[in-house]
Amino acid sequence: MSTDQLAGPGARAPMRAADARPSSPRARHPRSLRARRAGAFYVFAGPWLLGFLALTVFPLGYALWLSFTNSDGLSPNARYVGLANYREVFTDPDTLASLARTGLFTAITVPLTIAAGLFLAVLLNQPIRARGVFRTMIYLPAVVPPVGAALTFKLIFDRDSGSANGLLDVFGANGLAWLQDPYARWVLITLTVWGCGNVMIISLAGLQDIPAELLDAARVDGASWWQSFTRITLPLLSPVLFFQLVTQIIATLQSFLPLLIAVDPTPKGVAAVPESNRLIMIDVFAQYFSNGRYGYASALLWVLFAFVMAVTFLVFKMSRGVVFYAVDPEQTQTKPRTIGDS
Amino acid sequence: MVLARRKVVYMLLVATLVLMLSPFGWLLISAFKDPSELRAVPIHWWPHHPTLENFHLALTLFDFFGYARNSLTLAGIYSVLITLASAWAGYGFARLSGPGKRIIFGLMLSTMMTPQIITLIPTYLLFSRAGLVNTYVPWVLWGLAGAPYLIFLFRQFFTNMPKELEEAAIIDGCGQIRIFWRIFLPQSWPVIATSLVLSFAWSWGDYISPALLLDDDHTTLAVKMATGYVNEHGTGLYTVVGAGAILYIVPSLVLFLILQRGFVTGTATSGLK
Repeated sequence: MSTDQLAGPGARAPMRAADARPSSPRARHPRSLRARRAGAFYVFAGPWLLGFLALTVFPLGYALWLSFTNSDGLSPNARYVGLANYREVFTDPDTLASLARTGLFTAITVPLTIAAGLFLAVLLNQPIRARGVFRTMIYLPAVVPPVGAALTFKLIFDRDSGSANGLLDVFGANGLAWLQDPYARWVLITLTVWGCGNVMIISLAGLQDIPAELLDAARVDGASWWQSFTRITLPLLSPVLFFQLVTQIIATLQSFLPLLIAVDPTPKGVAAVPESNRLIMIDVFAQYFSNGRYGYASALLWVLFAFVMAVTFLVFKMSRGVVFYAVDPEQTQTKPRTIGDS
Repeated sequence: MVLARRKVVYMLLVATLVLMLSPFGWLLISAFKDPSELRAVPIHWWPHHPTLENFHLALTLFDFFGYARNSLTLAGIYSVLITLASAWAGYGFARLSGPGKRIIFGLMLSTMMTPQIITLIPTYLLFSRAGLVNTYVPWVLWGLAGAPYLIFLFRQFFTNMPKELEEAAIIDGCGQIRIFWRIFLPQSWPVIATSLVLSFAWSWGDYISPALLLDDDHTTLAVKMATGYVNEHGTGLYTVVGAGAILYIVPSLVLFLILQRGFVTGTATSGLK
């Protein structure tokens, strides 16, 4: 019954449609029509729902159980160890340092990436010649798979043969060991920001949605470019930027790029990741691959998960009053409930 | 005044273009260098003796085409299935209604924010227990389930399509599946293009899943690329890595360039509002 109430207007819509066409043969069976509509909805949403239960919910529960055991994935007698894994996570200084590093890395790269993406989007939204070509070219780095990007950056920042040191040499400076501490973190940050194309595309789509009349009106009123950007464009774009903030934070907290820039991204190579790039995923890999500690690695992942949730919650809280919706979000939320409204 | 601003815009554009594309430039230059001049002092900005040997080695040090075929098969299966499945689910969320729809939709949006990584270890254990390790079945399953992000894109697109489209079909006695297949899906090519590019890139670039679920023979180029270009002492062969990386990147670039027109419209029209 409660589910029926929740479906509310959506479930009633077919009846209204039927009322409008009394001659339709289906009007005589509004109840079965409603059932058929609901059935059709589940035919379409069902595969996702099944996949979600089998491939997300169930593994999540399993991961939670694993985190309370000393499982190594092989021996059948994994034992329940209570909170021991979690106690270890929160008392191991290395793990805590990795977590802090991951947080810092996220706090630096996410705003940088979003700012870079927005800057490029604004630039590419200008009335310029060959705009499509510029857009495509500037987006290209985002199409490069992570392994390819990591290998490319390894070539650039190689100590002996990289162009970064070649450039320093031209200016008479000494070459640096970029891929080692303490410079490795800058390579990682640069690599991450270089991939801002995806963020740029979404911002660009958002910019194109801003009604030109608003900006024209502002210009007529004598607003400068900067004024209309900060007073009109930014507020109207804020939901898009907010969406990116949340998704980027979540993605960055799980980043395993340092593993790929490391000398040899294998179980052995995990140890070769420079300390300044030891994000939490590196610890997960080390525990999981090298030490076979599935239980402990699961606990680490759950701590990361909790961290992600806490940060997301915080961002949502803080965004109140900053994110501006042109259309009342309550209204946009009710929209999908009616069938086929246009 | 206006002219000056336009000049600034072009200058900024060219500067960013150089900045964004220069890594590719260095990749290309390195790939044509003779290994002996890689560490030349002072640095050789241009190969003095351009050679194709690196490309030859990149293709032969390991069975490049074999692994490329693995990657292609996997990415092909995955991207086609996930695009269809996401369009399928997106149609349901956009055009149909049933009890619990709001909850299910909210659930789907929230999984967009759930770190997928957390399911990594249990998924490996489950698939290995089910005997699915070293098969491509997991990718088929992942594909069939669809991806929340793509479902959302399709839903946005389908929601904005005029109601008249389906009304005529309903009067003609079409079922929902036929309406979806015959009317809505063919109209949504920009989103289909977007979805294909994105999911192909995810799978082609994915390192973790194949590293976990596939052994050395069945694995993808992404995994092999990261570890395969070493000499007998285990030292990385940088010039070969450059050549290999170029060969590895090309398919995603080509796919993107072919579909890019649809890609940009697709993202724009189904906008994340």
